[in-house]
Amino acid sequence: MELFKKTLDPVIALSAIAVLDIFLFLIVGAWTVGGGETMMTGLIAQFFLGDTLDRIPFWHEVFRPDASYWKIYISLGMLFGAIVGAIASKEFFWRFPRRISEWVMITIGGLLMGIGIRLAFVCNVSTFFGLTPELNLGGYLSISGILAGAWFGSLIYKRVLEGDL
Amino acid sequence: MSPTGQCLVAFVFGSVVGLLVQRSRFCNTAALRDAMLFRTFRNTKALLVAMMILTVGFTGFISVGAGNPMRFDVGINQVLGLFLFGVGMVLAGACTVSTWVKAGEGNFGAIWALIFTFVGMFLFSLLWSYIYWPPAPSAMTGEISLERLQLGFSNAQTLQEKTGIPAIFFGLIQTAVLYGLYRVIRRHELKQSITIGAA
Repeated sequence: MELFKKTLDPVIALSAIAVLDIFLFLIVGAWTVGGGETMMTGLIAQFFLGDTLDRIPFWHEVFRPDASYWKIYISLGMLFGAIVGAIASKEFFWRFPRRISEWVMITIGGLLMGIGIRLAFVCNVSTFFGLTPELNLGGYLSISGILAGAWFGSLIYKRVLEGDL
Repeated sequence: MSPTGQCLVAFVFGSVVGLLVQRSRFCNTAALRDAMLFRTFRNTKALLVAMMILTVGFTGFISVGAGNPMRFDVGINQVLGLFLFGVGMVLAGACTVSTWVKAGEGNFGAIWALIFTFVGMFLFSLLWSYIYWPPAPSAMTGEISLERLQLGFSNAQTLQEKTGIPAIFFGLIQTAVLYGLYRVIRRHELKQSITIGAA
């Protein structure tokens, strides 16, 4: 199948995703990832901590762990779709970061993404594919934050690439 | 729609997105990082086109009272949170979408980033339980609250209600701005290719 033989133009791919996102918006709500990831965090924490989790107010006042939360399944679907695409195009293989600096950057980066999503109540997906197209004030605030953050992160990334850090 | 139906729709949507992103190598991080660092815009153009389609689609449906727009108060926490997120995604080399997609390709770095995203979320849940900020959904009022650094809630729907002008009108203005950005990038690329051709 042609789709699995060569790389798809991202403009075509994102246009198709945008049309599907409009349907999703009509049925349940716009595409988002951060909310589903937060719910997964709550479910994982509940698995390990049990009733102790109830003593943390966030998990009953902001996000009560619930496996039937639809946003979880967007992320699981993305993982499934990517596995199918990677296997069908023979692009699936295990890759590991090689340098210590990569492990450190990924660890810090992951932590900052998690903290940032929860502080903002939104992620990059809801910023660009939800809030801003809905003309929500939060979209413009988020875009200003993510642009400044990406610029600052790029400075650090550049210094790491150049071996200064 | 029943919760099971919602989950099924979400899974089908996510699966198609995962497949398309995997096949196109689209990355939101690259859309911002590459434009800033390397002046390449492959992903930025795709992001802008998607935003144009979505703006017309969302505001069009909001104009006739259809759709499910997100509804929560916003404030300084969006700027701070997405600033941290922006730094994090560049360092991790992946955003929320590409972590899942790269994980699906067997990239252990992406799986590691996902694990620490969850850890970061849990750490913030502990901090939130002490500071109770930003306000929980139950404490949101929709109004400006300077002491809580909140600017309330406004979107295409509230714009339409306040002005009496259909939301699509404002959507078309935003689309024109996004198209202007797209044209600037295309002109820049054309100039670049002419320079390379001449050399």
